Amino acid sequence: MSASVLLMQDIAKTFPGVVALDAASLSVRPGEIHGLVGENGAGKSTIIKVLAGVYHADDGTVSIQDTPVSPVTSEVIHAAGVRFIHQELHLVPHFTVTESVFMGQEITTRLGLSRRLMCARAETFFRDVLDVEINGDILIRDLGTAERKLVQIARALIDDQARLVVFDEPTAPLASGEIEKLFRAIRRLKDRGIAIIYVSHYLSEITDICDRVTVFRNGRDVAVLDKVDENCANELIKAMVGREIDALYPKSGHTRGALVLQAKGLGDTGYFSDISLSAHSGEIVGIAGLIGSGREELIDTLYGLRPARTGEVTLHGKPVRFSSPADAVARGMVLVPRDRRRDGLVLDMSVSENINLASLEEVSCYGIELRNRARERASRQIRELDIRPDNPAIISRQLSGGNQQKTVLARWLATRAAIFLLDEPTVGVDVGAKVEIYQLIENLARNGAAILLSSSDPGELIGMCDRVLVMMRGRITHETSAVGLSIDQLVAMTTGASTQNSAEGHADAR
Amino acid sequence: MNQTLKSIIARFGFLIIIVAFVIFFSAVNPVFLGGDNLMNIVEGSAILLIVALGMTLIVATGGIDLSVGIALDFGAAFAIVAMKEYGFGWYGAALIGISGGAIVGLLNAALIVGLKVSPFLATLGTFFIGSSVQRIFTNGGGPISHRRMPQEFRDLAVGDVFGIPTEVVIAAVLVLAYFIVMERSIIGRRVHALGMQRSAARVAGLKVNKYLILCFVAASMTAAVGGLIASANIRMFTPLSGFSYLLDAIAAVFIGAALHPRGRPNIPGTVIAVLFLGVIANGLNLMGLNFNTKDALSGIILVSALALVVAQQKLRH
Amino acid sequence: MPMPASARPESGASGLSRIIDAAPLVIFLGMLIYIGFNAPNFMSFGTMQLVLNQSVPVVVVCLGLSIVVMAGGDDVVSGGIDLSIPATAVICAGIIAQLVTNTDTPLLLAIALALGAAMFIGIVAGLMVTRLGMTPLLTTLALFVAVVGVTKVVTSSRRINVDDPFIIFLRDGEILGISAGVVITLALVLVFYHFIHRTKWGLNLQAVGGSCEAAEISGLKPGHFLFWAFVIAAFTGFLASFFLLARGSGSSPGTENNLMLEMVLATFLGAAFSPRRVVTLWGAVLGAVLVAALSIGFKTMGVNVFWTGLIKGSLILVVLALAALSSRVKS
Repeated sequence: MSASVLLMQDIAKTFPGVVALDAASLSVRPGEIHGLVGENGAGKSTIIKVLAGVYHADDGTVSIQDTPVSPVTSEVIHAAGVRFIHQELHLVPHFTVTESVFMGQEITTRLGLSRRLMCARAETFFRDVLDVEINGDILIRDLGTAERKLVQIARALIDDQARLVVFDEPTAPLASGEIEKLFRAIRRLKDRGIAIIYVSHYLSEITDICDRVTVFRNGRDVAVLDKVDENCANELIKAMVGREIDALYPKSGHTRGALVLQAKGLGDTGYFSDISLSAHSGEIVGIAGLIGSGREELIDTLYGLRPARTGEVTLHGKPVRFSSPADAVARGMVLVPRDRRRDGLVLDMSVSENINLASLEEVSCYGIELRNRARERASRQIRELDIRPDNPAIISRQLSGGNQQKTVLARWLATRAAIFLLDEPTVGVDVGAKVEIYQLIENLARNGAAILLSSSDPGELIGMCDRVLVMMRGRITHETSAVGLSIDQLVAMTTGASTQNSAEGHADAR
Repeated sequence: MNQTLKSIIARFGFLIIIVAFVIFFSAVNPVFLGGDNLMNIVEGSAILLIVALGMTLIVATGGIDLSVGIALDFGAAFAIVAMKEYGFGWYGAALIGISGGAIVGLLNAALIVGLKVSPFLATLGTFFIGSSVQRIFTNGGGPISHRRMPQEFRDLAVGDVFGIPTEVVIAAVLVLAYFIVMERSIIGRRVHALGMQRSAARVAGLKVNKYLILCFVAASMTAAVGGLIASANIRMFTPLSGFSYLLDAIAAVFIGAALHPRGRPNIPGTVIAVLFLGVIANGLNLMGLNFNTKDALSGIILVSALALVVAQQKLRH
Repeated sequence: MPMPASARPESGASGLSRIIDAAPLVIFLGMLIYIGFNAPNFMSFGTMQLVLNQSVPVVVVCLGLSIVVMAGGDDVVSGGIDLSIPATAVICAGIIAQLVTNTDTPLLLAIALALGAAMFIGIVAGLMVTRLGMTPLLTTLALFVAVVGVTKVVTSSRRINVDDPFIIFLRDGEILGISAGVVITLALVLVFYHFIHRTKWGLNLQAVGGSCEAAEISGLKPGHFLFWAFVIAAFTGFLASFFLLARGSGSSPGTENNLMLEMVLATFLGAAFSPRRVVTLWGAVLGAVLVAALSIGFKTMGVNVFWTGLIKGSLILVVLALAALSSRVKS
C-alpha cells in the first residue's frame, strides 16, 4: 500500500500580474476524506485545476500512487483514476438519468445503444454505491438538486476505475436535508477505499466529514490538520485568514437613522412567503440563509427583477411597486448582484463605460456623451476605490473578481444611491480586496445609506451587520442583533439546527 | 515571414480585397473608375444603406430583423396609395409611408417585448403576415403604379440637392443621424450595453424594454424611408420587393461588425460594407455578365467576404 | 439554472403549465377539425395522401435542420440553425434535371454529381461555423444566397421537366397502396430516428447541443458533432431534391424561398408541440405535416389562397407566444 494516493509538491503557477500558487503542496492518503479549505483566491481552485490538467504548473511535481505524472493532462489524470465532481452540475435537462450517467461512455451493441443494460447498471450503481434509489428513465429536469448531484457523481464513477475523487463545493446548491444524503454517499465511497478531496467553504462540513485538512492561504499550504473534530474550526479560520478574524471587518457601531425600506408580507409562491423586514438609514442588515432558502429570490423581488405575488414594499414611507430594476434605481435603490459576471458588469465594455452606465445623463449634453468628462469621472472613481489597473479604458472582463466588484460599486456610488442591496458581495474576491470592499460598505453606512447584505458567509454577516435576519425554507425564522452572535449560533440558525430563538430575538425588530 | 503575412491580413485583409476588386474592375472596364460611375455606385447603394442602418441598430441590441423588407414594402405601399387614392401631397404621403413602416416595427416589438418570442421567429412571423397582407391587398402581387405622382415625391429618387442626388443626400443625413445616436449618444451607449449583456444592463437600471421597442420601430421606419425612395424611383409599388434587401443588409452589418476592433455592429463599418457590396454589384454589371452568372458570382463573393472578415477578426485576437 | 427541490413551484402552477403545454397542439388540431367539418372531402384517404405527398420534401429537410439544432443548441441566432438546406435541395434538383434532361447524362452520374455538390456545401458550412467561429445563422443565410445564385447558372433560371422513370415512380408509384414517396420518407424518418436516438453518436450529438459544458466534461468534442450535423443536413437537402423533382415533375426556379420558410416553421412549431419545448425529429415531422394539412385544408374550404399565409403566420405566432409563455410559467 503506498503512502499517498496523490502527492503534489511545490506547485507554482503565475498568471499575468498574479501569483496564484507559490510552492504549494498537497498530499492525500488512500481511503481518506481530505478537506481543502482557504479563502477565495487562496489557490485551492488553481491547484485543483493544475491536477485536472486545465492549467499547467510553472513548477513542481505531481505523483499518483507514487508514480510521477508528467506532463499532467486531463487524459493521463483520467486514466490514473482521478475524477472531478465540479461545482456546477453540467447536466442536460432533457436527458434521462441513464443517458446522463453514461454520457460519452455509452454501452453499445451492433444494433445501437443497449439502453436497458445501461439503465440497469446505473440503477445498481445508485443502489449499491451511493445508497439511493433513482429511476434510470426519469428526466434530469424532474430530479431534485441532491439527486442531480448524485447523477453527476455516478457519471464520474460508473466505470469503476476511480481511485481519487475531487468534490468542489458539492453542497453549494443543496438544502440542509439533502446534504446528509450526499454525505452518506461520500462515506460509502470512502468505505470502498476511494480517496476523496473535499473542497468547501463550509467549515462545519469540513469538520463533519473530513479525516484530514489542508489549509491554503496566498497560494501556499499553510497548515495540515491530521486530526479533525468540531473544535478545530477556529484553528482552521486562523490558518485561513492568517490573523484574528476581527481584523477583516471595520465595524464600529452605526447610528441608526430614519426608517428607509420596509417590506410587509412579501411572498412568491414556492419561493418565500410572509417576509417582513425593515432597514434604516446608516444600518447594515444581514440576510443569512442557505442557498434555496429563498434569500436570492427575496433580493431579486425587492429590486424588481421578479414580481411579488403578495405583500407590499415602502420606501421612505411611500408604497412602491417596482416592475423593473429601472424603477428601483430611479428611487435610489441599487443592487450588487451575486452573479457579477452575468448581471453585474457588461463584461465587454470598458471600466469607464461600466462606471458611467447608470448615470449617463451626468456625462452628457443634450444626449451626446461627453467622453472626456465620462473618462475623468470614471478615473476619479477608479482612484477613490483603488481599482487596478487604474486604466479607465481597459475591458472589464480582464479585471480580477475583486476589481470587477469594485467597479460595480463605483457605478452605484456615482448615482448617489441611498439603499444598497448587496447579494454575496465578496464571492470570488481575494482577501485584500475583500477588506477594501468591507471598508467601502462601512463608509456607505456611515454616510447614511441603508444596506441589506445577503450572504452565505456567517463570519461576514456577523462582522459587518448590525442585525441579521435568518431565512429558512422561504421564511424569516430568526431576527437577531449581530452583537455577540457567534458563527456557530448563526450556522445553527441557518441550518435549522437550533430551534430556540436567540436571546436578542425579536426585541430588535422594528 | 508567415507571421508578417498574418499580421498584414489581420490589419488590412478586407481593405486589400476592396482595392483588389477596384483594380480588377477598372482593368476590365475603364468606365468603372469614372466620376459618373462612382456616383452611380453610391446612388445604387443608397436604399440598401438606409435599410442596413436600421439593421445595424437591431443587431446591436442582440437581435435580428427579418421583416425589414416588409417595412420597406409598407412604406412604399402606404405612400403610393395615399397619393393615388386619397390625393395626399408629397410630404403627407411620405409621413404616411413612414407610419406604415412603424406598424411593422410595433408588431415586432409587441411580439418580442410583450410576448417574449425570439426576434428571429417573431420577425419571421411578421414577414409571413406582411407578405400575405400584401398579396391580399394587391390581389396576388400585382404592382400598384402611380405615374402621375407629385414631382416633389418623384424627386426623392431622381432629384438633386446642389447637384447631389436626393437619395444620396437622404442616405447621408440618415447615416449622420444614426452615427450620432449609435456611436456618440448615451442612447447608443445603452443600446450597445443591452445588446452585449441584457441581464447586466437590466440590473444597471436601463429600461431594456423601452429601448428594444424604440429600436425595432426606428429600424422599420428607416426601412420605410428606403421604400419611399424605391417607389418614387419606379413610380409604383411592387409587392414583396423589399425581400431582396434583407440578406445584403444582414451581411453588411456583420461584415461591418467584423471590421470593428471589438466586433460590434457599427455605422462606419456598415457604410463601408454596403459600399463594398455596391462596388461588387456595379463592377459585375459593367463586365456585361449575364444576369444569372452575376447572381451566382455576387453570392459567392459575399460568402467569401464574410469568411474573410471573420477570419481577419480572429487573427487580430 | 438548477433549482433546489425544496423551492419548486407547487403542483397548482404545474397544472396550469400543463394546460398551456398542450395548447399549441390543441389549437392546431382544433383548426383541422374545424376544417374537417366545413370542407366536404377533407377527412378522406385521398386528402390525407395529398397532404402527406405535399409535405414530403419539407419533412426531409426538417430532419436535417432538427439535427443541426440538436447539435448546436436551440438559440436561433447563436445556436445551431441551417438555412442553406433548401438551397442545397434546389441546386441538387437543378443539377439532376439539367444533366438528365438537357445533356442525356445517365441518372446515376447526375445523382453522384448532385451528391458531390451537396457535400461540398455541407462541408463549407461546417468549416465556416466550427473553424472560423461564424454564427450559423449568418453563414447559412449567405450560403443560401450563393447556392441559389449558382443554381440560376445551372438551370439558366428555367423550368426543366424530368421524365425519368425513377422520379416518376417517386411521384406516382405506390408501395402497399400508399404512395412511394411517403413510404420512402417514413423509412427515412425511422432511419434518422434510430441514428439520433438509438446510437451512441446520436446521443452524444444531442448532449453537445443540450449542454456544451456537460459534453466537454464527458470528453466529447462539440465542434466535431456540429461539423457533421451540417454535413448530414446538406445530405438531407440532397435527399429532398428527389422529392422536389417528383412533386414538381422537374426543377422549377423559386422553390427555395417557400421551402426555407416552411422548414423553419415546421421545425420550430415542432418544438412548440413537444412538451419539453425542444426541437425533436418527431415534432418537426408533425409540424411539417400539420402545416401542409392546414394549407390544403384552407384550399379545400375555398379560402382565398392569399389569406392562407396570413392565417398561417398568425397561428404560428400564437403558438410560439404560447410556447414562450409556458416556459415563463415554468421558470
